[in-house]
Amino acid sequence: MNAQAQVLKGHLDVLLLATLEAGPRHGYAVKEALREGSGGRFDLPTGTIYPALHRLAGAGLIAGSWSTVDGRRRRTYRLTAAGQRRLHADRSNWHDFATAITALLETRPWPATS
Amino acid sequence: MASHQLIDDYVNRLARRLPADAVDELADGITDTWHQHVAAGRSPTQAAHAAIAEFGTPQQITDAFVAQAPGRRAARLLLATGPVAAACWGASLIVSRAWTWPIPHPAAVVFGSALLLVVAVLVLAATGRHSYRRTRLAGVGGLGLLVLDAAMVAAALLLAPTLVWPMAAAVPVSLARMMWTIRSLPSALAS
Repeated sequence: MNAQAQVLKGHLDVLLLATLEAGPRHGYAVKEALREGSGGRFDLPTGTIYPALHRLAGAGLIAGSWSTVDGRRRRTYRLTAAGQRRLHADRSNWHDFATAITALLETRPWPATS
Repeated sequence: MASHQLIDDYVNRLARRLPADAVDELADGITDTWHQHVAAGRSPTQAAHAAIAEFGTPQQITDAFVAQAPGRRAARLLLATGPVAAACWGASLIVSRAWTWPIPHPAAVVFGSALLLVVAVLVLAATGRHSYRRTRLAGVGGLGLLVLDAAMVAAALLLAPTLVWPMAAAVPVSLARMMWTIRSLPSALAS
C-alpha cells in the first residue's frame, strides 16, 4: 500500500460517508465515487473497501439493503440519520483542521523568537 | 455468477475464506469491474486480470475483513473486561473465604478449567489476522463466559454464607457483561 493510501486510511470513514451523501450506492459505485472524486489519487485495493462499509453498517452509520441485478445479489448502502450527523461533524472538524494547517504552511516569514 | 473463469476462480477462493453475504457482495463488485474493463476495450482475459488486480488478492481482502470482524472486536472487548471482573471476584472470594463455601472440589476445578479454556478461545478469536473463521470463535468464547458469569453470580448469591462488600461490584460487573454479551453476540455471529 502506498503512502497516500496509508494517509487515506485515517480518513476513510468520513470519505465513505461522503460518497453516500448524494444517495444510495453499492460497493463498486462507492469505490468509483472515491476514485473519481479524488481525481484518481486514492488507490486502495477495491476489496478492502467492503469490510469498511460493513463496519460502518455495524456502527449504524449506514444501512445496507439487498436487491438482485442481472442475476447477482447486490447490497446497496445509504446514510442513516446517525451517519448524516457523523458526516457533518467530521466535515466541520476537517475544515477547521485544514484551515489551521493551510495557514501554517502558507509561505510567509515566521515570527522571530528572542 | 461472474462472467469469466478467472473471476469465477477468484470468487471461489474468497468463498472458502469469507461469509456468503460478503462473497456475494464482492462477486457483484468484481463482475461490475470486469464489465467496465471489457467496455473499455480490453479482452475478457485482460479485463479479468485488471479487475482482480484492482480488487486485491483474496488474502488481502480476507485480512481486511478479519481486521474489522465483529467477532474479533467482541472478543477483544470481553477480554478487556477480564482484569476488572477478576479483581472484583478475586476480592469477593478472598473476603468471603470462598474455600469455606459448600462447593465440591471437582466443581471448583471444572470451573477453573472452563475459565482458562474460555480465555484461550477468546484470545484466539481476538488475535487472528488471516482467518475469518477464527474470529467466529468469539461466539463460543462469549457463550462460555456467559455461563461462567451466571454460575459465579448464582454461587455468590446462593452458596456464600454471607454477602461481602466486594460482591456489590462483582455481581453488577458480571451482570453487565452478560447483558452486553446477549445483546452483541448474535449480530457479531450473523456477519
